[in-house]
This record gives sequence, C-alpha cells and structure tokens, in this order.
Amino acid sequence: MEDKKSQAVKSKPIAIGMAFALLAILPQILGPGDLSLVNEMLILGVAASGLNLMMGYAGMVSFGPAGLYVVGAYTMALLLFYTELPFGIALVAAPVIAGIVSLVVGWFCVRLTHVYFSLLTLAFSQIIHTIIFEWYGFTKGDDGIVDIRVPGFIDSITNYYYFTLIIAGISLALIWMIVKSPFGKTLQAIRENPDRTEFIGIHVRSYQLAAFVLSGVFLGVAGALYCGFSHSVFPDFGDIMKSTEILVVCLLGGIYHFLGPMVGAVVYMFLDKTISSYTEYWPLVLGVVIVLLVIFLRGGIVGFVTEKIAMAKQRKTAEAEDYVSS
Amino acid sequence: MSGLSVGMVIFLIAVGLSLIFGTLKVLNLAHAAFYMLGAYLCFWVSSLIGQSIGSFWVSLLIAPLLVALFGGIVEMLLLRKIYDREVLDQFLLTFALILIIGDLCKLAWGVDYHTVDTPWPLNAPVIFKGLIFPRYNLFIILFAPLLWAGLWSLIHKTRLGSIIRAVTHNREMASALGVNVSYVYTGVFMLGCWLAGLGGALVAPMSAVMPGMDAVVLIDCFIIVVVGGLGSLSGAFLGSVIFGLVTAFGILIAPRLAIAFGFILMIVVLIIRPWGLMGKPE
Repeated sequence: MEDKKSQAVKSKPIAIGMAFALLAILPQILGPGDLSLVNEMLILGVAASGLNLMMGYAGMVSFGPAGLYVVGAYTMALLLFYTELPFGIALVAAPVIAGIVSLVVGWFCVRLTHVYFSLLTLAFSQIIHTIIFEWYGFTKGDDGIVDIRVPGFIDSITNYYYFTLIIAGISLALIWMIVKSPFGKTLQAIRENPDRTEFIGIHVRSYQLAAFVLSGVFLGVAGALYCGFSHSVFPDFGDIMKSTEILVVCLLGGIYHFLGPMVGAVVYMFLDKTISSYTEYWPLVLGVVIVLLVIFLRGGIVGFVTEKIAMAKQRKTAEAEDYVSS
Repeated sequence: MSGLSVGMVIFLIAVGLSLIFGTLKVLNLAHAAFYMLGAYLCFWVSSLIGQSIGSFWVSLLIAPLLVALFGGIVEMLLLRKIYDREVLDQFLLTFALILIIGDLCKLAWGVDYHTVDTPWPLNAPVIFKGLIFPRYNLFIILFAPLLWAGLWSLIHKTRLGSIIRAVTHNREMASALGVNVSYVYTGVFMLGCWLAGLGGALVAPMSAVMPGMDAVVLIDCFIIVVVGGLGSLSGAFLGSVIFGLVTAFGILIAPRLAIAFGFILMIVVLIIRPWGLMGKPE
C-alpha cells in the first residue's frame, strides 16, 4: 500500500512535466485558429482557478468575478494606451490594481454571509461595469480600447501562446502552493464550518478578505492576459454574462478539485466554439447544459471522473478480497 | 407620468420576486425572463384574436396565466430539486433559465420588436388643466396599488395566506401540521410568475416587445427587493418608492451614472441592514 502511495507521489511531477511538454509542442501541431482557442482556454482557466481559490476552497460564492477581471484588463489597456510605460510594468500593475480593488470591495463583502455576500459582490461588479461603460472620456465606453500595443516578441500568436502558457503555469503553481499551505487549509476549515474555525482562535474575516484579494489578483492576471491576447478591451468583459461564464466554468469542471476550473475552461471553450459554428442559439444550448450540470453533475467533470475511478478501484479490491476469501 | 407607470409595473414584478424569495428561499434571477415571456405572450394572444376591441383585455387575462402555468412546470421539474442546495446552484440554474427563455422567445417570435396597440377605451388621452395624460398610464397607476392591496389581504387576511405565511416562517413545522409544503411552493411560485407575466402584459402597449427587454427590469427589481427586504411585500413597496426617488435624483445630478446610484443604494442597504429596510433578520 505504501509503495503505491510513494509511486503516486513520484508520478505526479512526471505527469505535470508531460502535460507541459505536450502543451509546449502544441504550436507545431495546431493551426493558428486552434492555437488561439487553446490560448483562450488557458486564460479562462486562470480566471476560473482564481475564482475557485475563493469559491471552492473558502466557500465564498461571488456573483461578480468579472468585475475584477475587467479591472485587470482595463488597467493594462489604459496604461499601454495613455502612457509609454513598458509592457512588463502594465502586466504587473494589472493584478496589483485588481488586488487593491478587491481589498476595498472585499472589506465590505466579508462582513456579510450567504446570499447577501453574493448579492453584494454582484452589486460591486455592476458598479465597476457601469463606471467603465459610462466614463467615455477615459475608458472610451462602449467603443472599448482597441489596437493596444504589445511588444514585438509576443506579437505572433505562437509567441503569445508561450507567453500565456508561462504566466498560466506560474499562476497555477502559486494557487497550488496557496491551497496546500496552512493558510489554504484554514480556508477549507472556514468553508466547512466558519463558527468552529472562529472558536479555535482564527479571525475568519481576515482570512476571507485575504482569499478575496488573492482571488482578485489572479482574476486580474487573467484579465491582463486576455487584453494582451485580443489587443483590445470592452466593458462587457465585466458584465454579468462574463461573471456567469467564469462561474459555469468552475462548476463544469468541479469546484472541489484543483484542476476542475482548468478542465472546465477547456470543455467550455470547446463547446462554445463548436456549437456557435452550428447555431446562433448557443445561449439556449448553454442554458440546457447548465441545467443538466446543476441537477445531475454536481461534482463537475473532474468530480464525476474521480468518483468513477474510486468506485472502480473499490470494486477491484472487493473482487480481490472475494477471490482471497474463496 | 410614463416613468411612474413603468415604475408601478416594475413594482408589481418586484412583489412577485420578493414573494418567491420569501417563501421558497430561492433567488430567482429568471424572474424578469418570465416578465418578458408575459409581454411576448400578450402580443401573441392579442394578434391571434385579431383586431377586435377586447383583444388586449383577453390577452391581459390569458398571457399571465400561461406564464404562471409555465412557471409551475419549471418549479416542478427543476427548481424543486435545488431547494436544499447552495446559493451557487440557484444562481446558475435560474441564470440558465434566462438564457433558455430568452432564446425560446427569439425562436418563437424572432429578433424584431413587436408592438401592441393601446387598448380601447384607454387609447385617448385625458386633458387636465392643459396637461395631457395618457389614459392607459393612469389606468396602470390606479391598477397596480389595487392589485398590491388585494395581494396583501390575500397573504394577511385569508386562510390560504396564513398557510403561506406558516410555510414561509417554518417549513418543517408547517409540514408537520399537515400542510402540503410542495403544493404551497408550486402555488407561490406560480403566483410570483403570474405577477411577472402580468407586468409584461401591462408593459406591452407602452413599449416595444423585444429580446433583451428583461435585463434592465431584472436589475431594477433586484435593487428594489434587496432594499425593501427580501421576502417582504410592504418592503417591495417602500423599496420601489426609494429606488424611484434615488434614480430620479441620480438622473438630475449625473444622468449617465443614474444606474450606479441604484447599485450604491443597494450596497449601502446591504452593508447597514443586509435583510433590507422592512425585512426581518434571519
């Protein structure tokens, strides 16, 4: 039994390495269209993983993740549009500003619980969206900001893909370290029972606020990546539709698994592109998919698969035991 | 004047939303989609009947009932399965309903806008002291408070109302006392949908019936219900008045940011009194 466990520990880095190797050679296999689809999957995956840090691990359901995503995207876009600052600084500024905004928004939100928490996040994200939409003189409102300059070395789709891959890899590694740290375990304790966690001397609100800010930082990273990817930003990056998209991605993949949001992003983007090419009624299909998910597939895809694997293993051991006893 | 009558309709829709949350404890994002469905059905029924005098009145009667029926089916097939779930599941399921209902309306009636004629005998304006008042708007301004009063008496004065309040207050206890809770849930959800559908039918002669007409109403209703208190009927009334005043004030000082004033109002109330002005803390 112990052998098996150490084997699993050893095989994990190998699996991750293989996954990265596969992702690294993708540009050789895929055409530019498919490659940019994978690029979008990665970005959406970072956003969803960032949200899941707060939702899956700390149990704080935000209805307005797009509010912070759009802050990241616009920070980058506005800096590159109005100033001569280098791309790198804009890239760092995006998550920093998104983090600061989350600190302010989160400070209010963590004072509430359950549905009121969620409603407050929704209200704040709507305000952010309204400001961006209406402040025409600064943000160009509905027209969005287009033709954003990016440095030459990431201008081609292949190079931008590698760039996204590196940033997404770093982000996921950081989120992994956060959720596996004592801090991450405390968040999970808060998710399971906030009262008891408070009783053992943990200041729940501070932890929740920290989770809120960290989540906002990664949403900001994703927003900035998308800004660089599309060379443009629009207010609807921050609307309720985008928020729901990020939420659906988390739920589709499974919110109680680290890779759930990433898997969700891949499946979601694939469905989006494939179905949209057949019919203009993608929202209808998406709606039906969500209904089925919520009612039948609560653990998401990853949850479903791990459950099946666990069941298969159980059956195997049961069979083996039967064999031994007979 | 037209602002006031639209406000009255939104108030009716908000009452339905609040009623559903109060009893079912479900945050129904799709509430405004039922409103849109009501408007489309009103257009559809009245165009089926044709150009007779009473066609609007017949469809005003039928369309909300159809919406209620549809709502009942949705409750029994879908919502019933998620009452014990977390708020995330409710959010996603009801959001999915928005997408589904929106696209079904597009499939059935196309993306073009439709209009419904202002019905006889309300199609002529009233002239009072040199000012012109559209009669239809006056009708709504009188009709909505009457309906609200009727609903209030239904909930607070009748036996059926006391059953609804019992279920709202304590589901298990009511169930133990022999109340069929799932009937009450379906009934209340249908009543809420009926109100939304009625709102849609009432709006049809005043504005174009088209895809996306639900989005604005949804946001307004949410602000009203949160401000007034989720689940409180009188709260919905107070919320509507305050929301109307704040929005009017917002339009006066910063027209472009008028929507933001509504959200700021909602945020302030959520922070100070999360259960709303007239609601009760859990």
